[in-house]
Amino acid sequence: MDRECVSALPRVCEVLAASGGSLPDDTSLEKLLDWFTELSEAGVSLLEACPCLLGFVSAVVSNDAASEPSVLSFTLKLTGLLAASEDGFKVLQDSVLDRVFDFRHWQAAGLWEDPCIRIGWIQGLRTMLQHSQALDFFVQADFTEPLLQLQTDTSLFVASAASQTLAHVLLLCQSVPSPEGRHRETIPVETDGKYSAVVAGFCDYLKKSLVPKEASQLHGSQQVLKLLAKLLTRAGPPLRDRLLLTVSDPLEELVTTNYSQLTLPLMDVILAAHSCGGGERVARLLSVMLSARNPADLVHAAAAFLRSSHPDPDNRARSAGVLLLPLDVITGLALLGADSSADQHRSSVMEQLRRKTSCVSMICISLTNVPQVTSTAPDCLPCSPAEIVSAVLSVLRLCSGDSPSSSPGCAEVLRNVTGSGRVQKCALDALSALSSSSGVKVLLVEVFTLLIQYLNSPASDPSVIQKSYQVLVKWVDVCADLSDVTEQLREDLVQVVRKRVCDVRWEVRDSTVEFLGHLAAAPASLASDKEKARNALECLPGGRCATVPLLQEALQDPEGYVRASSVSALALTLAPSWQQGAAPPQQEAEIVTRLLEILSQDTQGFSRRAVIRFFVAWISSCSSPSSCSLLTQSIPSILSRGSADLDWEVKVHTLELAELLLDRASESRRHPYAVTPDRTSTHARAVESDPVSMLNSLVDQGVFSALLSGLVDCDRPVGLKACQLLIRLRDTVCPLLLGDQDVSDALVSGSRASCELPGCGWAREVRRILGTATAPRNVHGADGLGPEDRGEEEEEEPAVRVGVCDALRRLRLDERLAVLAQSSDHVHNSPLSLLQDILTVSRTKTHLDSQLGQEVIVDCY
Amino acid sequence: MKLTYCLSGHPTLPCNVLKFKSTTIMLDCGLDTTSVLNFLPLPLVHSPRLSKLPGWVSKDGTINLEKELKECAGRVFVDSQPEFCLPEVELLDLSTIDVILISNYHCMMALPYITEHTGFTGTVYATEPTLQIGRLLMEELVNFMERVPKAQSATCWKNKEIQRLLPGSLKDAVDVWTWKRCYSLQEVNSALSKVQLVGYSQKVELFGAVQVSPLSSGYSLGSSNWIIQSHHEKVSYVSGSSLLTTHPQPMDQSSLKNSDVLILTGLTQIPTANPDGMLGEFCSNLAMTIRAGGNVLVPCYSSGVIYDLLECLYQFIESANLGTTPFYFISPVANSSLEFSQIFAEWLCHNKQTKVYLPEPPFPHAELIQTNKLKHYPSIHGDFSSEFRQPCVVFTGHPSLRFGDVVHFMELWGKSSLNTIIFTEPDFSYLDALAPYQPLSMKCVYCPIDTRLNFHQVSKLLKEVQPLHVVCPEQYTQPPVSQSHRSDLMLELQPPPMPYRRCSVLNLPFRRRYERVYILPEVLLSSCGCPGRLPVLSYKQSQYFFGDGC
Repeated sequence: MDRECVSALPRVCEVLAASGGSLPDDTSLEKLLDWFTELSEAGVSLLEACPCLLGFVSAVVSNDAASEPSVLSFTLKLTGLLAASEDGFKVLQDSVLDRVFDFRHWQAAGLWEDPCIRIGWIQGLRTMLQHSQALDFFVQADFTEPLLQLQTDTSLFVASAASQTLAHVLLLCQSVPSPEGRHRETIPVETDGKYSAVVAGFCDYLKKSLVPKEASQLHGSQQVLKLLAKLLTRAGPPLRDRLLLTVSDPLEELVTTNYSQLTLPLMDVILAAHSCGGGERVARLLSVMLSARNPADLVHAAAAFLRSSHPDPDNRARSAGVLLLPLDVITGLALLGADSSADQHRSSVMEQLRRKTSCVSMICISLTNVPQVTSTAPDCLPCSPAEIVSAVLSVLRLCSGDSPSSSPGCAEVLRNVTGSGRVQKCALDALSALSSSSGVKVLLVEVFTLLIQYLNSPASDPSVIQKSYQVLVKWVDVCADLSDVTEQLREDLVQVVRKRVCDVRWEVRDSTVEFLGHLAAAPASLASDKEKARNALECLPGGRCATVPLLQEALQDPEGYVRASSVSALALTLAPSWQQGAAPPQQEAEIVTRLLEILSQDTQGFSRRAVIRFFVAWISSCSSPSSCSLLTQSIPSILSRGSADLDWEVKVHTLELAELLLDRASESRRHPYAVTPDRTSTHARAVESDPVSMLNSLVDQGVFSALLSGLVDCDRPVGLKACQLLIRLRDTVCPLLLGDQDVSDALVSGSRASCELPGCGWAREVRRILGTATAPRNVHGADGLGPEDRGEEEEEEPAVRVGVCDALRRLRLDERLAVLAQSSDHVHNSPLSLLQDILTVSRTKTHLDSQLGQEVIVDCY
Repeated sequence: MKLTYCLSGHPTLPCNVLKFKSTTIMLDCGLDTTSVLNFLPLPLVHSPRLSKLPGWVSKDGTINLEKELKECAGRVFVDSQPEFCLPEVELLDLSTIDVILISNYHCMMALPYITEHTGFTGTVYATEPTLQIGRLLMEELVNFMERVPKAQSATCWKNKEIQRLLPGSLKDAVDVWTWKRCYSLQEVNSALSKVQLVGYSQKVELFGAVQVSPLSSGYSLGSSNWIIQSHHEKVSYVSGSSLLTTHPQPMDQSSLKNSDVLILTGLTQIPTANPDGMLGEFCSNLAMTIRAGGNVLVPCYSSGVIYDLLECLYQFIESANLGTTPFYFISPVANSSLEFSQIFAEWLCHNKQTKVYLPEPPFPHAELIQTNKLKHYPSIHGDFSSEFRQPCVVFTGHPSLRFGDVVHFMELWGKSSLNTIIFTEPDFSYLDALAPYQPLSMKCVYCPIDTRLNFHQVSKLLKEVQPLHVVCPEQYTQPPVSQSHRSDLMLELQPPPMPYRRCSVLNLPFRRRYERVYILPEVLLSSCGCPGRLPVLSYKQSQYFFGDGC
C-alpha cells in the first residue's frame, strides 16, 4: 500500500465521518470500497494497514443521525469487508459489529426507509459471511427473518441483493469452512442444531410464499422460484432434499394453476430438481409441465427443457413434439406423423395461432428452438431434420404471401404471418442452424431457390436480406460441392447480387458487398470440375471477374460503411490472385489508385481503416516483391498517408503494416531452406547478413518515418505500438552494428543507415528529443507579437539527417515505453488521486460555505 | 329513388350514375384502354417487321381476315387504329345526366364520348389540376393516334359468329361492338368547355336538392373524393385515394364520417406491391442496367407517378454515380406536364407548398432540367434525334406499348439484352403489352407503382369513418384469382359490402327517417279544412299528400 495513501487516509476518514455530503461525485465511495476490496483480496489486512478505519466506523455509527445515508451505507459495506477475515471479525466483534448490523437500531432511527441503508446492510452481511464465526453471528442475531422480509422489498435492487444473500447463507450453512479455513466440509443440515433454525425459517417462508394468493403476489413468487432454482442447482444433498421435500406440494399446486408468467421460473425449478434426482414426483410434475398446460405456456416449457440439455429421451421427444406442433399446424406438413398426443393440442394451438400476437410469438419460439429440436437423438424425433427444413421453408413461403398453406382452416393464421419480419428473421436463423443437420443437403436447391426469391423480393426488409445472405453463406459453407445447385440458380444469384449492389438502401448494398466477401472466403468446389477446391465465388457464373467490377463500383459508394465493406470484400476476393501473382495489372493499378484516394480523401474513418487492412492483407499474401511491384511502389505513399491520418485506428493499422514490412525485410534475407523458426531469431539471423542495407531499405520505404511519427503521436495506443516496434528494431539491429566492430566504426557504419528528419510536424518533436533542433529563435518581432499572433505559420526548419541507430539509442525508448504502457488515466484513477479529490472537494466546500455565508449577508443588506 | 347504375366494370376506371333526390349524377368517366392490347403497335418509323406480318386465316380456311388480323409472335392482333372500351351507354339515357363529378385526371378520359355523343346538357365538375392535366393526357392520346393515321377500320372480326372462332384473347374480348376509336381534339375541347372548376371543400348546390363537395383524396394533383348530401342523407364517393406521403395534398378522411352510403372504387391494382419497395426496385434495376452499358426504357403516363420517379431519381442519381447519364422525357405534352406540376402549389403537400414560399420549385425535376440531367422533347423527331446519346434512360408513353414514342424504342432496343424495360404503370399486364414484340432480348422488369389505398389501409379507413353501407366493385369482395389464398386481399366488412359489376343497378339501402319539406302558405291554407287546425302530411308512393286532420 502506497505510503502517501496511508498518510492521506485518516484525513479522508475524518472528512467522510464529519461531512460525507461533500464528495467529488456519486461514485467516490464505490471507488473507495473497490480499492479496499482489491487490497483485501491481495491479502492486505485492512485493519492493520489502516487502523483509522476502525475509528471511522465507530465514529459514523455513533453519530449516525449526523451522517449522510450514503456514508452510512458505505460504512455498513466496509464493516462487512473488514469482518470478512476472521481476525478482522474478532476485532470488530469486540467493538462495533453488533451496533453496525443492528437493523432494529436503523429502523428506530428512521434510516431503514432509505434503500441505500438496506442495501448497505445486506451487502455488508453478504461480504462478511465467509467463515463460521460470521455465520454464528448471523444465526445468533436472528437475521434470517429480516432477510426473508427483504425478499419482497419495494426496491428491486434490495430484493435481488437480499435473495442472493439468502442463497449465500443457506449454501454456507451446508458447507461452512472448517475452523482452519483450509477446506470446506459439508455439515448435515438436519443434524446441526445451530443452523437448522435458518433452514427451517427459510422452508416455512417457501411454503407460505411460493404459491401466490392473488395476482399482485406473482412477482414475489417469481423471485422465490428463481432463488429456489439457484439453490437446487448449487445445494448438496441434505439441504437439497430438505428443500425438495418442502416445496413438493406448493410446486404441484403451481403446476396445476397455470400461471403463464410463472412458467419459465417454475420450469427452471423443476428442471433443477429433476437434474438432481428429484424422484418420481418431480418427474411427474415435469411431465405435466410438458403436456397439460395451454399451448403458449407449453412451448415455453418445452423450449426450456430442450435448452437444459437434459438427457431424458421421453421428455425430449415430448418437448420436440410440442415445439414442432405449431409448425405442423401452420404449414400442413405432417411433422408429428401419427402422434396422437399432439392431436389433443392441435385445436387449441390453432386457436392461439388465429390471434396475431400469440401466433407470431408461438411460431417464433418454435423456430428459435429448432436447433435444440434437431440436436435431439433421431429416434426421439417424430420427423427427420430434412422435414423440419421443409417446414421452415414453408413458413418462409407463407410469410412472403406467395403460397397457400396446405393446412385446412389456416386462412386467418396466414394473415398473421404474411409479411411478418419477426417470423421471417426467426425462420432464417433456424434455416441457418439447420444447415449442418444430417441429411438436409437434398434440399439445397429448394433452399437456394427460396433465399434467392427473398433476396429478389422488393418487399424484403434490409435486415431480412442481410440474414438471407448469411444463411446462403452458411449453406454454401456446409455444401462442399456446389454442383447440386443448378446453373440457372447460380445465374439467378449473380443477377440478384448485381441488382442489390445498386439498391437504394445502403444497408442492402452493404450486406451484398459483405456477402461477396464471405463467398470469396468460403471454400467450395464443383464436382464436375477437375480442378481442386476453389472458393464459392468462383463457382458462380463469371466468378471473380464478374464480382470485382461490382466491388470496384462500390468503392465509390456515398456511404462510408459500404466503401469499407467493399474494400474488405475486395481483399478477400483478390487474395487468391495475389497468392498466385496473377492479378491483372490494369485492374490492380485502378484498385490501388482508388484505395490511395480513399486513404487520403475519405471522410469516414472505417473506410480508411479498411484500406490499410487491405494493404496489410495484400502484403501478407504477396509471395515476393517482384510479383507485386505496384504494391511495393505504393508502400511509401500508404505509410505516409496512414501515419498522417487523424484516426488513431488507421495509424495503428499503419504501424501493423510497418511491422509486417519489418518482418518481410528480415525474412527476405533468410536462407531459402531454413526451417521457419520463431520471429525474433529469424529476424536476428536475417539482419546479421547486412543490417545497414536492411535499415536503408526500411528508411526508403518510409517505415522508419512511420514509426517515428507514431512514437510522438498524441494517441497512446499509437505511441505504444510505435515504441514497441522501435525497441524491437533497436534491439535486433543496433547490437549487431556495435558487436564485432569498435564503436567508432559502428558509428561510421551506422551513419550510412540514416534518415532525414524534416523541420516540421512530428519530426520537429523527434528532433527536440534527439536534441538536433536548432536553437529557438526570437520569434517575437518588434511589435512584440509571435508568428501566431500575426497570423503567420511557424517557419519550417531545414531538414537534418540522423543515423538510425544513433536515433534509436537517443530516443529514450524504454522510458517512453514505461509511460505509454500505463493507461492514460492511471494518474486520474489512482487511489491517491481519489483520496486527494475527496480532500480537495471537502476543502473547497468549506471555503465556499464560508464565502456563501458572507454573500448571503451582503444580499440581506 | 337512390339508385346506382354501374357503367364500367373496371374498378379503377369507374363510371357510375347515382340517382339521388331527383338529380342524376355521374361519378367519374373512366375509359378502359386495356382493349388496345388486342391491336398491333403503331410504329412512328416504318417497321419492316410489323409491316410484313402474315394475315390470319382460320385453320380450315373458311374465315379469311388477312386484312384485319395479323399473326405476330404466336398471337393474333387487330391491324387497325386502336379502339377503347367505353362505359356502358345503353343502361340508361345519358342525356338525363345533370352533372358529372370527376375525381382525378385518369378517371375522365371517356368524357368526350359522353358529353359529345349522348345528348348530355349538364355540367362537369372538376378541380383545376384535374382539368388541366386531364386535358394534357387527352391531347397526348389524340396526338399519339393522329401521328400514325390508319385509314383501315376493322369491323368484321367483331361479328359474334366470327369472334367466337378467333384465337386467344380476341375470342374472350367483351362488348367489342361498343369499342370506339379515339376522339378528336375538337371533341376534347368541346367536352372540356363544359367543365366547371371547383376547389376542395367548396359546396355546390344542385337544384336546391343536393349539395356536392370535393375533398382531397391524396392520390394525384387535384384528385378528389366527393360528398353528395341532402339535408338528412349523405353519400360519400371514394375514388383513387392515397394515404402515402407523396406530392399531392393529403387525403381528407374526417369529412367522410357519418355517411349513409360510401361508394368505394379505385383501390390499388397491385395490393401486394409496396410502392416504396417498387421505387427501390426501379432505381436498382435502372442503375444496374446503366452500369452494364445498357439503356432503360420506362413506359409511363406523362403525369402522375413520373413526378415521384423523377424526385426519387434526383436523390439516387448522385449516390449511384449516374450523374453523367442522360434522362429523356419524351411526350407531346412533356414540357406542359413538367411546368404545370410546378404551378399548382395550393394542391401540393405541405412540404412542397412551403418550398414555393422560399421561393423554390416544389418538384426537384426543375433542377434536373436546369443541370441538363433531364431533357424533355415532344417526340423522337427533331432535336431529340440530334442530341440523343446512349446509354440513357427514356421516359415515354404510352404504357400499353401500342402507340406513342415508346413503340420506336421497343423496336430500337428490344434486341439487346443489355437494355431493360421497366414497367411502372399498373394499368396493363406487362406480358400482354410485350406480346407483339416477342421474341425480345431486352430485360423486362415489372415495378408497378400504385399509391392508391390497399386493403389494409381501406379497412382502417372504414373503421374510422364508419359508413352505414359500403358499395364497391365485386372484385373487392373476393381475393384476386391468382392469389385465392390471400384472404387479406379483400374487403371483409359488417354488414358485407354491396358488390356491383358492369351494368348492375343497385338500390341503395337508405333508411329514411327525416325529410325536409317546404310548403307554400297558400297550399297549407287551402289544404286545411278546419280553421285553427293544421293539416296532416302523409307520404305515399314517393308523393306527399295533405289531409285536413279534422
